[in-house]
Amino acid sequence: MREIIKLGLILLLITSISAVVLGLTNDITKGEIAEAEALVSEEARMAVLPDASKFEEEDTDEITQIVKDNENILEVYRGLSDNEEVVGYAIKTASPGYGGNVEVITGLSIDGKITGMNVVSHQETPGLGANATTSDFQSQFKEKPADNEIVVTKSTPQNDSEIQSLTGATITSDAVVKGVNMARELYNNNLK
Amino acid sequence: MNLMKTFKNGLLNENPVFVQLLGMCPTLAVTTSATDGMAMGLATTTVLLASNLVISLFRKVIPDKIRIPSFIVIIATFVTLIGMFMHAYAMSLYKSLGLFIPLIVVNCLILGRAESFASKNKPVGSIVDGLGMGFGFTIALTVLGIVREILGAGSIFGIQLLGESFKPAIIMILPPGAFLALGLLIGLLNYVNKLRKNKADNQEANKSVA
Repeated sequence: MREIIKLGLILLLITSISAVVLGLTNDITKGEIAEAEALVSEEARMAVLPDASKFEEEDTDEITQIVKDNENILEVYRGLSDNEEVVGYAIKTASPGYGGNVEVITGLSIDGKITGMNVVSHQETPGLGANATTSDFQSQFKEKPADNEIVVTKSTPQNDSEIQSLTGATITSDAVVKGVNMARELYNNNLK
Repeated sequence: MNLMKTFKNGLLNENPVFVQLLGMCPTLAVTTSATDGMAMGLATTTVLLASNLVISLFRKVIPDKIRIPSFIVIIATFVTLIGMFMHAYAMSLYKSLGLFIPLIVVNCLILGRAESFASKNKPVGSIVDGLGMGFGFTIALTVLGIVREILGAGSIFGIQLLGESFKPAIIMILPPGAFLALGLLIGLLNYVNKLRKNKADNQEANKSVA
């Protein structure tokens, strides 16, 4: 009995030291992590809406409610030019792909065009679905009109609302396009 | 204890991946590219170094009966630390290694070295052992990553190597490719070792004849 208590106390001591070390490190890195995450998001927004020089969260009651209710719409930011004019929106959406949620940021300009798309987070298969992050695929979305629903095709796109799917990764392509369409609809229905 | 021998042991003679076949989960899962393989190897090396050192320092304090839970707590602490630092200062690496960082905890290479080396040897020796085993692991993962990336994506460390005409064999960066590449590499290594051994034996035989 006495031995069990002794062993238990030693183990308690080891785990307590470990907890203190982890707590301290968490304190040091917490701010850095938040900053790094914010920077990554900011860069992604810049990439999809290059005309904007800064971004602000779109915080009207209507949009806040939509983001709260709809788990597939993650963030809505408005992009502002140097003289504080709204030039467009950057909308982050999520839709299920092959290995989990595929998160994309879609940039939409106020004149009704998609200005860019960026896959920010995914767990797709390397070499197949993961190719959704290549600029070859992402740049297809540029300059597409926001009015029409975007559709995926396996052959060369025939009109300006078609996107050629990734080789061997139809599910990923569908997920990305679904994400972009969600952003497009939100823009058409609530932001325009 | 011969330090040089300890170091070379981990690097070559008892290479964790190619000879001991330890830590197969990260070996097979993250080596889809040379960069990921190398990063995983280095992260594991850091954890191994730190855990070997601490376990060796406290080897006389930790009672034998609770050594395994103690080792796991120490290893898990270091893994979490590395995870937090990577998240803060190397975001893109953190994202691409993803789930496999926390899984370093259950890499049997680390617990194996704690149990069979660090808990029985002095700190200096344990550091050298950690370095040897860690680099052996890193080299193995990098080589595997290079082979799979060249065949499966036509690039090396993310730099396009082969022209447009090269059709990459996508299977090489999918899970089956990991088994194929690892199996072939181990086979090749065993073959080379056998040749070397035969040559050495022949020389020995010649000497005794002369």
